[in-house]
Amino acid sequence: MNVLEAEVLVIGGGSTGVGVARDAALRGFSTVLVERRDLADGTTGRFHGLLHSGGRYAVKDPSAARECIGENVILRRTAADCIEDTGGLFVSTPFDDPDYGDLFLAGCTATGIPAEEIPVAEALRREPRINPGIRRAFLVPDAALDPWKLVWGCARSAEDHGATVLPYHRVLDLELDGERVVGARVLSERSGDELRIHAKVVVNAAGAWAGQIADLAHCKVNVRAGMGLMIAMNHRLVHMCVNRCKRPADGDILLPLRTACVIGTTDVFVPDPDQTEIRQPDIDLLLDEGEKLVPGFRQARALHAWAGVRPLFEDNADVNETRDVTRSHALLDHAARDGVAGFLTITGGKTTTFRLMAEVAVDAVCQQLNEIRPCRTAEVPLSGSESNAMYRVSARLAAREPVPQAEEVICECELITKSRLEKTISERDTVNLDDIRRLLRLAMGPCQGGFCIYRATGILHGGGRVDGAGANRALLTFLDERWKGIHPILHGDQLRQSRLDDWIFQGILDVEHLPS
Amino acid sequence: MNDLIRDSLDHCVKCTICESFCPVAQVTPLFPGPKYVGPQAERYRGVGPSADASVDYCSGCGICTQVCPQDVKIAEINSRARAKLWEKKGIPLRNQLIARPSVIGRLGAPVAPLANWALHNRSVRRLVQSTIGIHRAAPMPSFAGKTFQTRSRKHTSPSPDAPAVVYFHGCGTNWYEPRLGEMVVAVLEHNGFRVIVPKQDCCGLPLQSNGNFPAARKYVQRLVANLAPHAHAGLPIVANSTSCGLMLKREAHEILGVDNEDLAAVSRSTYDLCEFLLRLHERGELRTDFRSLPLTVPYHAPCQQQGHGIGKPALDLLALVPDLHVVELNADCCGVAGTYGLKKEKYAISMAVGERLFSDIKATGSNLAACDSETCRWQIAQAADVTAVHPIELLYRAYGLGAHHG
Amino acid sequence: MSYDTVVVGAGLAGLTAALRLAEQGQRVLIVARGVGATHLAPATVDVLGYTGDQRVESPAASLPALLASSPDHPYRVVSDAQLRAALEWFRSHCAGLGYEGSLDENLLLPTALGVAKPSTLVPRTMSHGDLRAGGRFVFVGFQGFKDFYPSLIADNVMRARLPVPVTARALELEPPAGRTGDLGGRVLAERFDTHQLGDWLVEALRGKLDPDECVGVPAVLGLRNADATWQHLESTLERRVFEVPTLPPSIPGMRVFNELTAQLRAVGTRIVLGARVVGARTSARRIDAVEVASGAGTTLYPAQSVVLASGGLASGGLELDSYGATRETVFDLPLTGVQGADRVRFLPNYFDTQPLSAAGVSVDASLRPVDAKGDPVYANLHAAGAILAGAIPWQEKSGNGISVATGYAAAQAICASSTAPVAEQVR
Repeated sequence: MNVLEAEVLVIGGGSTGVGVARDAALRGFSTVLVERRDLADGTTGRFHGLLHSGGRYAVKDPSAARECIGENVILRRTAADCIEDTGGLFVSTPFDDPDYGDLFLAGCTATGIPAEEIPVAEALRREPRINPGIRRAFLVPDAALDPWKLVWGCARSAEDHGATVLPYHRVLDLELDGERVVGARVLSERSGDELRIHAKVVVNAAGAWAGQIADLAHCKVNVRAGMGLMIAMNHRLVHMCVNRCKRPADGDILLPLRTACVIGTTDVFVPDPDQTEIRQPDIDLLLDEGEKLVPGFRQARALHAWAGVRPLFEDNADVNETRDVTRSHALLDHAARDGVAGFLTITGGKTTTFRLMAEVAVDAVCQQLNEIRPCRTAEVPLSGSESNAMYRVSARLAAREPVPQAEEVICECELITKSRLEKTISERDTVNLDDIRRLLRLAMGPCQGGFCIYRATGILHGGGRVDGAGANRALLTFLDERWKGIHPILHGDQLRQSRLDDWIFQGILDVEHLPS
Repeated sequence: MNDLIRDSLDHCVKCTICESFCPVAQVTPLFPGPKYVGPQAERYRGVGPSADASVDYCSGCGICTQVCPQDVKIAEINSRARAKLWEKKGIPLRNQLIARPSVIGRLGAPVAPLANWALHNRSVRRLVQSTIGIHRAAPMPSFAGKTFQTRSRKHTSPSPDAPAVVYFHGCGTNWYEPRLGEMVVAVLEHNGFRVIVPKQDCCGLPLQSNGNFPAARKYVQRLVANLAPHAHAGLPIVANSTSCGLMLKREAHEILGVDNEDLAAVSRSTYDLCEFLLRLHERGELRTDFRSLPLTVPYHAPCQQQGHGIGKPALDLLALVPDLHVVELNADCCGVAGTYGLKKEKYAISMAVGERLFSDIKATGSNLAACDSETCRWQIAQAADVTAVHPIELLYRAYGLGAHHG
Repeated sequence: MSYDTVVVGAGLAGLTAALRLAEQGQRVLIVARGVGATHLAPATVDVLGYTGDQRVESPAASLPALLASSPDHPYRVVSDAQLRAALEWFRSHCAGLGYEGSLDENLLLPTALGVAKPSTLVPRTMSHGDLRAGGRFVFVGFQGFKDFYPSLIADNVMRARLPVPVTARALELEPPAGRTGDLGGRVLAERFDTHQLGDWLVEALRGKLDPDECVGVPAVLGLRNADATWQHLESTLERRVFEVPTLPPSIPGMRVFNELTAQLRAVGTRIVLGARVVGARTSARRIDAVEVASGAGTTLYPAQSVVLASGGLASGGLELDSYGATRETVFDLPLTGVQGADRVRFLPNYFDTQPLSAAGVSVDASLRPVDAKGDPVYANLHAAGAILAGAIPWQEKSGNGISVATGYAAAQAICASSTAPVAEQVR
């Protein structure tokens, strides 16, 4: 069995995990990160994409609000390429109490969030599609955050500083030496090999799955999974992050994310974070709430629905409403709490505050190792964000512009070229088209892979990474996987698209009869 | 939702039918195609101008929108993206100039002989190409000297009590083809109408296709103001310029976003000339005292005419003329697309687009071709070396009306 | 303008019905929102390729079993003789494309994934890809053309379920000189038409082929001169050459569209594209006129008969709204195969038989849409093509077969029901 030695072992490849790995690596610790699936395949890759200003929490959760605005400012500096500076708008629709706006403004002032009330006419000029009946509107520095870019930017940055990042490595067991965690036994899901990783400190950053990891060290961590549903719409119905100005509730955020826009979310406890069945009433709820924010929303084209699980940490588990659980994070030192040394759990929180969570966790690591090494993540930009240029939605279009047809555009919706695709397949060394989808946004546009997945399969096969049977499997797996996100929202234009895709895959290509 | 053009991108299923019909994308890689710059690129357009200057290579012929089976307003998306592009970059002098036919007309018509000499003089054209950027070989009409407006004021209606029809003749007729206008009037009068020729200026279409929406709106609203009283009075408005007629029917509202009662009334009352005459025929009110016209004439329905969604009424009308053999051409576009083919950098594209049409016309062996749109006629006449006429001219001759005129 | 028949839709079913009517002397108008599925689907006329998991060797032999298990299937209203007549009619009207095959046996053509797919009538340019013949195949791709992956095709063809041994390999050619980069099928087709690429292909393959190998190329051999180019390739390369259909846009489908519309124009049929039929003027269960949106208002086209060939869910002939209601979009006809007021629930596995797959309008023996009682909704409205209920054409591989058969049958039904002799209606 292979053995890796590290000072810090991080479990979990979401934003918190890669944040911890990066922070630790930047402080010079030898670091290994393991993730059971692909990076950002858990909560981070399934969140709505809002870089909070904190406005959403300004009234009822001031400490979370303060953290958000602090991190918002830092990330704009260090993760510029992951962030589009859309600005945020809080609006009182005819369905909301306009007096809440006063509480909102007061809360923002108290927590240091720059918020400004603007005339309704100005809000409607900026966002002509939103409900013309809005009564108040407030500007805040919300922004759109690309979760995949963020996680991969952190991971690459961690690797640049010597860390080893291992996606598709599942923790089978934590290794204990008496009352001390000294490492983990992990399984490579790709090769089937087992691997032993020795570490001085193990950081459990498994988010909603943190309880399962803590169990392996016989520690009881009560993380509840709050499932949230999101729907991506075909194009930007709004250009700013638009929030309803009211107590946070279901379906009250609509924000532009890359070429699409996303409405979210819902919030229900689920017993198992891996069981996130999308229920039809929740879809209808989001569509109805969307209609209140943007009249005509139900006629607009929905592309894809997905559910993520928030990790909601609660030491005394008598809370029944997930929205009542604080969105602040929790750092658990199991030595003090459970008498298990060398083991930390960082959970709760939200993607916006991932860096802070990592800082807190690695500070605790330093303490455990009796080291004084200052955190550098508030200054050092992520890999890909060095130029400090914030992301613009037109980026890919602009990149094609000098000679638009210079090379094959494989995914036309998301403007992904053949060389980009080949490079990514080779760098990731993957045969999983869904991994490529998350990295490049392959098949995330209107046709949801109707045209590009055939091409991507051909390219995957042509690169020699898979044989015919493997290519067929990759294609069929992808078709089944994408369907999970499509079928819950299938109506109108997207059903029309989906039927054309049926004609392509079954009528033209006859994929159902591919030889195995 | 309030943005019907952008919202129509939701209907796009990426089927690529538009790209397989786009006449420009077939002949040049400079234009990435209507799907690319239309519903696809539109998703990348946030606030501010578009990042893709290649959208400027769209000729605006509108074929993409016609063939799209899903109702995506592709050409309209492109048109607005072009306008946003130029809004930031500033519109070059050349485009400002060729987009104002009535200004050019006012400058050229009074000195028609001199202006025409200049328009067709090689050295002058070379100079114009290098300084302003209008291609030296691009087709140019000749100033008529006496405009149609001037001529029509001297004309008295033979039957002052007859039902009235309002004639929107457009700039081409006024400055370059006043004879055509006289034929239109004659044919309408032959069918028992009194023809009202209101004061009128440019409809703003060339400004719209050159990306100057604010100026285009001003022009079209001024025109609408002149026509609206007649529309409100219930009079039909006929247009012999298919593209300018389409401006009133659809584009002023759909593309320029003009939204008022006057425009709505004018839109409802506006008919393409051939459409109007065919409707008369359906009601049994069109005179069919046509003489034999033993000719073979290839007919090209211009793109903008196809944008009316009325089929090809000229074919049905010309079928009424004894011995007239009309060959329906199937090439999509002549390439000129209003002012597109005049531009130095686009002239070669324009000629390549039209090549199929020109050779189909030549193949008929006829020295006469029919087409409803003036700029297309000029392009065809020059490139296919034929006389290109509006279908109304054939009707006019078949009615034997030419005998009354010199 | 008044017409004998207004056809709504310009796909294969609409074009077939229109031309069949027009050549029998009818004055016909086609109104369509745009171009139809000819441009999307391969130009093969697939009558029936699968019943369930069973590959169909002979459509003629398998149709009775299909109709027994799917009593609502559109083929129900077309007799064997009529189906044969429809296919023969199609073949003779696309004479320039040289369609081959018969209702008695399916060919097995490789798809762009290398699956052996059953087809009934195929253009000559594709027919030599019939894998039932066995032998050695080379699939040839062009760099820059992104809709064809020869090595994947060859790999799958080698493993296809076939009665005879087949070997296959792949060749990828450098892009043709001149225009490089992202080469669309339409651009390639244009260049084959002007003969540049046919000669280039012959040159590029010189010395790279074994004597007995058949050559498969993407179906981009031209729009106007494809058949000539194909013959040129076969004679110059001295071997069998065939086209393999690719993703939309379908160049072979465009050839069919061009063939049929040229004949329609020649017989005086009017085709209005970019126009949406918004309704009808009706009286006493008849459609008197079809109402088409134009400019700021609508235009009425009076007609003796109407053919609805507006397509299924893919073409917008049917629509499902976000509340779960399914609707026929032109005349709001009653539908079958749809679910009740509850939201439609699609099944979680893609390859399950999904709801609405066989949704559409049900018709009587004259292809007239019927209501729940089985009575025609309008005495003079007929439906054809993908809007018909009862088939899952992309799974059955029956799309173009249904379109040709029902388009033809609808025209026959209209001619049969015309009270006045058709010739008198001609102006």
